[in-house]
Parts: sequence; structure tokens; C-alpha cells
Amino acid sequence: MHITPLTRNASGDFAGEVSGIDLTGTLSDGDIAAIEAGMDRFAVLVFHDQRFDDDTQLAFSRRFGELEISSGGEMSKPEERRLKLEMADISNVDRNNRLRDADDRVRLIALGNRLWHSDASFRAVPAKYSLLSARVVPGKGGNTEFADMRAAYDALDTATKALIEDLVTEHSNAFSRETIGFPPEAYGSENQSKLRPVRQSLVRTHPVTGRKSLYLSAHIGSIVGWPVPEARAFIRDLTEHATQPEFVHAHVWRPWDLVIWDNRTTMHRARRYDDLHDIRDMRRSTVRGDAMTAPQAQAA
Amino acid sequence: MKLTPLHDGFVAEASEIDISNPLSPAEVEAVEAGMDQYAVLVFRDQPLTDEQQCDFTRNFGELEQTLIAQMTKGSERRLQPMEMGDISNLTASGTLRARDDSRRMYALGNRLWHADASFRATGAIYSLLSARVVPSKGGNTEFADMRAAYDALDAQTKALIEDLVTEHSIAFSRAQLGFDDYGSGNEDKVRPVRHSLVRTHPVTGRKSLYLSAHIGGIIGWPVPEARAFIRDLTEHATQPQFTHAHQWRVNDLVIWDNRTTMHRARRYRDLEEVRDLRRTTIKGTTLTAAQVPAMAAE
Repeated sequence: MHITPLTRNASGDFAGEVSGIDLTGTLSDGDIAAIEAGMDRFAVLVFHDQRFDDDTQLAFSRRFGELEISSGGEMSKPEERRLKLEMADISNVDRNNRLRDADDRVRLIALGNRLWHSDASFRAVPAKYSLLSARVVPGKGGNTEFADMRAAYDALDTATKALIEDLVTEHSNAFSRETIGFPPEAYGSENQSKLRPVRQSLVRTHPVTGRKSLYLSAHIGSIVGWPVPEARAFIRDLTEHATQPEFVHAHVWRPWDLVIWDNRTTMHRARRYDDLHDIRDMRRSTVRGDAMTAPQAQAA
Repeated sequence: MKLTPLHDGFVAEASEIDISNPLSPAEVEAVEAGMDQYAVLVFRDQPLTDEQQCDFTRNFGELEQTLIAQMTKGSERRLQPMEMGDISNLTASGTLRARDDSRRMYALGNRLWHADASFRATGAIYSLLSARVVPSKGGNTEFADMRAAYDALDAQTKALIEDLVTEHSIAFSRAQLGFDDYGSGNEDKVRPVRHSLVRTHPVTGRKSLYLSAHIGGIIGWPVPEARAFIRDLTEHATQPQFTHAHQWRVNDLVIWDNRTTMHRARRYRDLEEVRDLRRTTIKGTTLTAAQVPAMAAE
């Protein structure tokens, strides 16, 4: 297995392209350890020509830890789902493989992925890795962009680092969707408890590398102890800082790409494509984290 | 009057003119020509009283009353003329506003990129901002050139947006920050108005993007799709090559054309330091799009 760095910023390498390994085959513990070491260094790893089906993707993903149930899966009814509960359906087709209409509720919720976020930051124990496999890609557009939250943290001035060191933010899926005008009520009464905000530290430390990073996400709606408008304006400023071109890598998808990113040290977003006419079928498995980043307000 | 460009065709510093005294017609014309070319003009060392600022502003059209003055009782206003926008962190009695002051929360909306009064059916033409007290650090105003931003779009995006009409309301920008406390009796002032997303300058004929944090929808589009798209356009339009940061000095006066620019305020230590800026605004005179219903917010 060989890793070629894709970008370099003032803090080091960010995103690597991996060659010389077939992830659908049998992997040794040494292979998994090498991938984990690559993730610790690069935060995003790109693998080409990995012909996964859902079962082999889930089996590979489990080598890194326990898998999450996707929020889209747990908030939908079984008859609405195209894929297994552990497989997040990052596509623009319904369960009959037909393109979704312009005003389809699932399409409108998915538009929230165009905001910079960290997967499952709305859970008290948020996600570790996300693994996204491209099965069908559109003719144009639909890139995924990644931002390096370690380099973004390092580049803050001393006064800002001191200001944010102990700040705790509140995250909910409802906040990111409200930003684009999708009201929390539209998730349905049965899902309201899943929208309850959780608390996360704004600065977190990677358990292996010890590097600090900004824990930002579109799911942030407030900072504990701050007036809401001041918190939101400040989080917008931090997000703008953290997603400047020098911290960002854009991935242009090819079929059978697999990209793994560490949600503890990166944000990502999807870019626009002609989703009313072109199919984009990507499947995401997500590895659970192992700890909360901040004490919760009450038992969740 | 002499103009020194600050940013490649966008923003110039105007010198060798005293704007505290009545201007000759030729001087007014020179300022207007400079505005058409550069969209933002910076005048240094121009100490002005409120009355002098209003007099200078009237050279360019009719003054508009600020929305916040219209929504506030006279006893709560620090500046009595309804035409003088109070861009400060001070209460009516001149003390610093408290952290959770509702007026402070409202003012935080100025940290989002916007065009002044785009929530009115006719928008605004020029804004004139005079610096009376400035903080020791922070509090810059940044400007973005919506003509250059439009020009830099690819042909496909230009075709897509050519005839799009957006909906603007003060409530949309404030909702982005989680603020919705306007007080009763002001419901009519937050009713959305319509604007063309692409507008053409009446003198230069140049096209520009008419973007603003006040946009909440695009006519005929699902709201989330419209908001995601407007965010993408705003990100494009506010890239460093299109923006200029103005660092305030006391007695600066900056004029910008809201038809061709966006602007935003940056953070400063507003709980500890005074920033007292005063804004006068020239009313727009024409609609950029037909209003539905016909009785939209004036």
C-alpha cells in the first residue's frame, strides 16, 4: 500500500491517494493498521477502483469499529428505504431507482449536505470515520469537498484560540436544515426526539496524534452561555476561516472510488449537480466514535 | 476632486474635496461619475455633523428612513432624525449595549453579506457611512463587487440566473442568526418583496448580481434549493479577488452603491469599546421586479 499526498498546507499533509490495495479482498490486521495510520496523518484517504457491494463495504467498514445507523435510515419508514439501516443512501433516487422530484422531501433534506458539516455531530457520541463509495456518478458536478480542521485550528490567532478553548456548542440536525428553510416539524412528530441538541467541545484533540482541531459543523445552532445570534455569527466567521482554499481539497468522483474521512478532524460538503436529470448513487457507512467530547446537559 | 483606485476598478479614495460645505453641480457630477466607475468611494478626514451629512447626502437623491427607526419608539432612539441610521453599539442614553440587548442581536445581522434595504421594493441606491468613534481593533467594513462577481460566472450559470426573481425580507437575514423579535405592529415591515437576481446599472449598463442576506427564496424554486444556491452564489461573489476591506479612521465617510455591491461588518469588542458610525441612505426609485401582491413593503 502506497499513499501519495494530495495537498499540503502550513500544518502538513491533507488528503492522500492510496494505491496497491484491494479493499474488497481479505485484509490483515497490519493492512487495517496501515490505513488507520494513514488516516491519522492525512485525515482523508482516496482509494480508486474498489468494486464494493453493500455487504463487502459494511464488512470492510466494521474493521474500524462499530457502525452507526444512518439518521436518514432511522428517520424513515422501512417501506421508504432503498438500503440497509447501516447504509446511508447518498443518492437522488427513490426505492424504485427513479430520480426524485424537485419538491421531494428526501431531496430537500439531502440539500443540507451542501453545507459544510461533520457527519453525525448531532449525536452525543459523534462519528469517527465515514466511508463513501461511488456506484454511479453524474456527468458533471457533485464533487465532495473536504476541509482540514487541524490546519484551520493551527492558523487561528492566539486571541481566538484562547477565546474558543473551552467553548461548548449545541448541535442538531434541525439547525442545519433550518438554515436552508426546511422546518423541524417537517421531520414528523415521531422524529422530534432525534432533533434534541447535543453538546460538543468546539476544540477537540485527536486521541492518537494529540493534535487539536476545530470541531465545526452546519449542525451547530448555538454556543452554551452565548446569545444565539452572537454564537451563529461567530460560528459563521470560524467556518469561513476554516474553509478557505488553503485548507480545502475537492474530490472529483469516479465510479468505484472509496473515500474515507475522519469526522473528528475534517468537515466536508457536496457540491451542486444536475440532480433532476443525472443519477448520483453513493453509499456511506459510518464508524461510531468512542467518546463524548463534552458533558451533556441532561441524560440523553 | 482626485480619485486614487484601491482595488483594480473597485473602490477609490477621493481627495481634494470638502464635503462639509455645499457642493457645486460639477463636484456632485464628479462624485457620481466616480461611484459609477468604482462603486465605493472613501473620503478621509471629513468631520461632519448629522446635519452636514444629511445635506451632503441630499445631493444624490431623496433620503430614506431607516427600518430600525421605523420599528422603534422615539424615546428609544439615540439619533432623532428618522433618516439617520444608528450604526453604533450605544443605547439612547449613550451607554454600551448589554450582551443580550435585543437591538444588539438585531445589529448582528450586519455581519452577513447584504445590500442595504434590499427588503424594500425599490431597494436603496447609495449608502453613506460616517465614522465618529471607531474601536481600536476590528470592526472593518468589507465590500464585494457584484459587477466583477457577475462577469466571472460561467455562461451556463449566467443563463440559469438571467430571469430569476428572489424574495427579500429583513426577517430572512435575522432568522439565519436565530433572531425573530421585531415586536408587535411591525408584521407589515417584514413582508417579502421581489427583486431580479441580475440587475443592470442604469448609467453604465453593466450587469451585476443582486445578492443579499435578506434573500429567503427564489420564485418557482423549493426554498431549500433556493437557499443552497444563493449560498453558493454568495460564496462565489465574496471571494478575495472581489472584496475590499475598509479599516475605519475617525472622520472617514464611505459611499457605496447598493445596486452593485454587498457589504458586511466584521466583529469587534463591542461590549467594551464604542463604535459610532452614522448612515444616511438614498432611496431607490424603481422596482427591479414586479411585486406580488402589488402592495409590498415600502
